[in-house]
This record gives sequence, structure tokens and C-alpha cells, in this order.
Amino acid sequence: MENKKLTLALFSGSVDKLTAAGVILGGAAAEDMDVEIFVLLQAAFAFKKENAMTNDRVAEITDKKDEFLASLDRLNAPHWTEAFRMAKEMTNVNIHICGFAGKVWNGYKIEDFIDLADDICGIGEYMTAAEEADINLFI
Amino acid sequence: MTQDELKAITVDKSVDARGTSCPGPLLAAKKAIGQLASGEIMEVMSADEGTKRDIPKWCAKKKHDFLGIVEEDSYSRLFIKKG
Repeated sequence: MENKKLTLALFSGSVDKLTAAGVILGGAAAEDMDVEIFVLLQAAFAFKKENAMTNDRVAEITDKKDEFLASLDRLNAPHWTEAFRMAKEMTNVNIHICGFAGKVWNGYKIEDFIDLADDICGIGEYMTAAEEADINLFI
Repeated sequence: MTQDELKAITVDKSVDARGTSCPGPLLAAKKAIGQLASGEIMEVMSADEGTKRDIPKWCAKKKHDFLGIVEEDSYSRLFIKKG
């Protein structure tokens, strides 16, 4: 039977939303889904090599940021990059950096981004993949 | 299966995922079940409440038999027979 398909338009560059994306990717990996992730605008900032491990911005409930980050540690939650990496190891996950988003953050080549990223693409690739997806999410 | 039957099972593999939160136990189960032959039994130890619902649903989708749950003091033991 053909694997189900998940597309994820990943806009957020904040660790709270990236962590949520990692949880969903874990679920997709458990079910052997084929996943296509399109890294848009602020998410491209988080995927830059110099930002991935140091970026600790949160998007929501920002006044509780310290409590949130401490809870992730207490619960042994993997860093979002590690959650994404585990999903890539367990199922077919392709991560595409939006070319425009990359340029916004001075990322012009795939080497400017962490090695989770597979390529730089245009929005047409996302539209094609999303049309064929069983689940399409925007985070 | 009854609680007594579950407690009496000799498992072929035991996975301790008590140190992880969702989706950690589920992913640990997926990784480990690949090492089993069809018909072998695995237990997953989890302290994550959501996992008690996730693993039975995952088993149904992946054609494994979910045998049941034994509750211990601070964690659960979930028994799976590989399909």
C-alpha cells in the first residue's frame, strides 16, 4: 500500500512552533508517511547554520518563555532539530528551503543551512506536493 | 487478555521509554518492532499518558495485535504482538 503523504508549510522560526512541528513529524514517522516540508520566511532563519542551535525565540506565551524552555529540558524533549532528524531517519522526509525565504536571511546556497535541509526550491514545488497530500499543515 | 495473562507473558523484547514524552514511546516502539519476527511480543514501558491511546491506534494501522496494558506505580506496560 502506498504511504500517506503529509506536506508541511513551515513558516515559524520560533522554538515553540518548531517543537510542535517535531512532534507531528514524529507521528508521521511512526506511520511511515512521506513528508515534504517547505521552509518559508521565518523558519528559514531558524534553519540557518548559525541560528539553529542558538535561536530560542518563542512565538506565544512569551512571558513564560523561561518556564517553557525549562520544561522542555525537564521532559527530555529533543531539540527540534533532533526531532526532525529522527523523523528523517525513520521515514521519507524531504526538507526544502524556499528560495525567497533563504535570500531574506542571506542564505543563497544549501550549504548556508543545517544539513537537515535537502534543497532550495520555488513555491511551485510546494503547490504540486500539497495538491497530492493527504494532510497539509501550515505552522 | 486479562491482567493476570498479561503479567505472565514472557516478552521477546522490552523497550524502556519512560524517560521520553510523546512521541518518544511511539517512536521507540516503531524502532524496536522492526527487530522482531511476526508473532513475537514486545512490551513498551511508558510514563506518557497519551501513549496509552497512541500505541493501540498505531497497532491497528500497522496490523499488529495490541494485547493490553498493565499499570505499574508510575508507568504503564503496553504489550504488542507483531503482525
